[in-house]
Amino acid sequence: MKLESQTSTLQDLYADESARIREHFEVSGDGKAAIRDRTSLIDSVVTQLWKEVTGTGAPAEGFCVAAMGGYGRRALFPYSDIDLLFLYEKETRAEYLGKKVIAPLSQALWDLHLRVSPTTRTLAECRKLYRGNIEFNISLLDCRYICGDENLFERLRSRALPGMVMRESQSLMQELTGLARARHEKYGRTIFHLEPNIKDGPGGLRDYQVACWLAQIAEMKHSREWKDAADLLPPPLRSDAMSAIDFLDAVRCFLHYRQGRDLNGLTYELQSQAASAGIGLHGGHAASPNDWMRVYFRHARAIHRLTVLFDEVPRSKSVWSRLFGGRRSPLSTSEFTVVDDRVSLAHAGSVEDPVVMFHLFELVAGHNLKLTAETEHAVEAALPKIQKWVSTTPDLWEHFRQILVLPHAAAALRAMHRLGLLVLLFNEFQLIDSLVIRDYYHRYTVDEHSLVTIENLHHLAAGNGELNRRFRDILLSVEYPELLYLSLLFHDVGKGMPTENHVEGSLQAVKGVFDRLRMDSAGRDTVNFLIGSHLRMSATLLRRDIFDPEAIHDFAQIVGTIEHLKLLTLFTFADIKAVNPEALSPWKAEMLWQLYAATENYLNRSVDDQRLYVAGEDAKQLEGLIPTGEIEGESERFRNFLEGFPKRYLLTHSSAEISTHYRMYKRLGHSSAEIAVTKRDDYYELVLVTTDRPFLFAKVAGTISSWGMNIMKADACANKAGIVLDILRFSDRFRTLDHNPSETVRLKQNLVAALSGELDVADLMRRKFQPEKHAPKVDVETRIHLDNECSSHSTVVEIVALDRPGLLYDISSTFAELGCNIDVGLIDTEGGTATDVFYVTKLGVKLSPSQQHDLQHELQRRL
Amino acid sequence: MMTKLEAIVQPSRFEAVKEVLTELGIGGMTITDVRGHGRQKGHTEVYRGREYTVDLLPKIKIELVIPDNLVDAAVDAILQSASTGKIGDGKIFLSKVDQAIRIRNQERGASAL
Repeated sequence: MKLESQTSTLQDLYADESARIREHFEVSGDGKAAIRDRTSLIDSVVTQLWKEVTGTGAPAEGFCVAAMGGYGRRALFPYSDIDLLFLYEKETRAEYLGKKVIAPLSQALWDLHLRVSPTTRTLAECRKLYRGNIEFNISLLDCRYICGDENLFERLRSRALPGMVMRESQSLMQELTGLARARHEKYGRTIFHLEPNIKDGPGGLRDYQVACWLAQIAEMKHSREWKDAADLLPPPLRSDAMSAIDFLDAVRCFLHYRQGRDLNGLTYELQSQAASAGIGLHGGHAASPNDWMRVYFRHARAIHRLTVLFDEVPRSKSVWSRLFGGRRSPLSTSEFTVVDDRVSLAHAGSVEDPVVMFHLFELVAGHNLKLTAETEHAVEAALPKIQKWVSTTPDLWEHFRQILVLPHAAAALRAMHRLGLLVLLFNEFQLIDSLVIRDYYHRYTVDEHSLVTIENLHHLAAGNGELNRRFRDILLSVEYPELLYLSLLFHDVGKGMPTENHVEGSLQAVKGVFDRLRMDSAGRDTVNFLIGSHLRMSATLLRRDIFDPEAIHDFAQIVGTIEHLKLLTLFTFADIKAVNPEALSPWKAEMLWQLYAATENYLNRSVDDQRLYVAGEDAKQLEGLIPTGEIEGESERFRNFLEGFPKRYLLTHSSAEISTHYRMYKRLGHSSAEIAVTKRDDYYELVLVTTDRPFLFAKVAGTISSWGMNIMKADACANKAGIVLDILRFSDRFRTLDHNPSETVRLKQNLVAALSGELDVADLMRRKFQPEKHAPKVDVETRIHLDNECSSHSTVVEIVALDRPGLLYDISSTFAELGCNIDVGLIDTEGGTATDVFYVTKLGVKLSPSQQHDLQHELQRRL
Repeated sequence: MMTKLEAIVQPSRFEAVKEVLTELGIGGMTITDVRGHGRQKGHTEVYRGREYTVDLLPKIKIELVIPDNLVDAAVDAILQSASTGKIGDGKIFLSKVDQAIRIRNQERGASAL
């Protein structure tokens, strides 16, 4: 194109040509053509103005004008800054050139309303590294001759810059990746923002450019040649990245034209406009905003995958890094090599073995590692083999749960999602892949929100502050955290289904997950409870007065058990916090904890009053449990067994367990005590059914402790007829039963003898009990709290103490020695802390103030 | 001409209060999560054997500036929707406002509300 020499004419022609470029973009949607044509237009403008100012007598020798940055790359967006380099050879000419050329040329460009960023440097200055302004060095990588002394520019391009890059390549790459990491941090290290910034956000245009620069610097260091940066990108990622850039170029042009400014945030409103205009889509066909955003995220993901190149650059320049950087980490195995926190495979095809594949992601989840580009490629190539295995294996849950409970599970799940493995395992997750649900509060897409919830819980381990500690303590006490993480992963998949109520959709979708994981009924019940109730705790927080006992009572009815309460509290904590970083304010977190504490207290302190009355309102609840009687009177006998048990018994045991307990009860006529000892995952469970008697619980606890076992949990209760059901979980400290399963029989015999009085448990404890040899790792203050108000006919004794073998024997024998009867006992251990609640009576009634004083004093002395 | 209304209400009543204010045509308000106490002094709880005092109770503060002709209706609406009849239902404070200015276009007075 040719422009007239008069600035006013130039202005008209610039405006006309700009309008033509825009018009062409509006019709074609071709962003690449728009930025290329705009670059040519500005080249013409600058060249024309150069001719005008140098025509007045200013010398062109030893002085030239070059384009830098996006302008240098011929990627000038409608409202981007125009970066110009005024390059000259000798410092002595600076003032003269400034007055005669640079100032009038810049002034003329500004008069055209162009946003020019001029930089003036000598050739020698371009050889230096500017640590405080590394952006200048980087922008030189894209420099392009426009006008003036071509020889001078050639010296810059062929000698000065390659010399600087080769000399400073390490610093350039480190500074560049450092800036990129800081930028990613600002955007929460995720591409999945509901209103993303398509230039600076992760997965944006800047990431692509950083990858190109890194590739270019590495190539120049190696060959001293300028090559097209796009050709240097890793071949498996290149094609998708190029498509993504075409899309983003179009979107950025669209954003600039619509807003008339260099604003690159993709707001809801602009998403709708871009979708209806089909921006970046083949044929320019209109799409729904959600579908269009899914296309956006697919492209952003392709760009984001280039960031594996960022990790190729050693992060630190410390002495430590120089000594040990690049060395094989001790985490390396025969299958994997770990160097600089990145995992590569010993054999590329090894991940076709599903076990190796899962080990790889366990390694990532355990140590927050990243995969190298080659490893990512190998994982993708292995997916078809994994797909066959998934449909037949009975071990999927065992492998998957291992990943979920590890501290960096979210990082592993993100990598699995990015590479298509997560959706391959659970096609239900596809429903929320890159799904945008618009509201004022959520920051991330639904899939990312789900992953952030898991991350939030794992972060509790490292966080500080009193509130963080409280929630962490709850998490540490959860029995099956993997079920919590699984629930979080799928709690919102219903949002991707055409249902009115997303909770129902999620419950429907998760059935397929259960089947694939071959999950047992208890696990299914827990996950269903959490997904089905996941909005109820926050609803109680916001809509009920949490200091109103009635609200606590109602909420306790929803959760039913303390284990469910713990899980739902953590779920709610993680879910609110994942809405956006500020959503869980200290105010809200405090309220959540208050609701948890009040409900836990309620559940603990109402056990004694919440008894089963089989002829009353509980009759309906029992209907499904009553054995179909081949024997006459079976149903009556079953009712007699349950009559008077705490209601929590039905909530904390499956129907199969209740049937087992009932069968033991029926055999009581033939023996004085029915005892079952069963090996579970990493503990033993002892169930005892017998008639109530003094010192009963102390005898059981003492006998088990004398065998070297450590009691972790226990539930003790009695029915109306005085039949006691004690269930104790203990760990086998010295692996006595593990190595000698036949000893289980002798343990049972000891228990029977202790209960009948043939064996003196106090003597047994003196002779055989072996306390811990090592000092405890935690310091726990012993706290004993007695309450005569919360139960209608028992005194509630709450004891928090350092857990140790024999503790429960000491407590229960103290009760017995003071003539107190344990009506109900709930024993729990969290880490090194024992938290026990007992409902005790003396001669069938609550303890008097003086009896309470004596009991407290004696417990304090013994503990 | 204009009045600033500050209402401290129970978090559980906030949605109801917001709804009635919206029905009156009052859409603009500022909400803050706050803690405090008046006559409802808080209480002592025991959790895991350890006593803790809940002395500052969670409340929500609603702030709005409205034309004087809407004040009575707004106050009535809040009184009805925020009341549970118990201690701790909150308070309403009214104060005169001299001027309101919309930053976007420097509009002043009631039309800037």
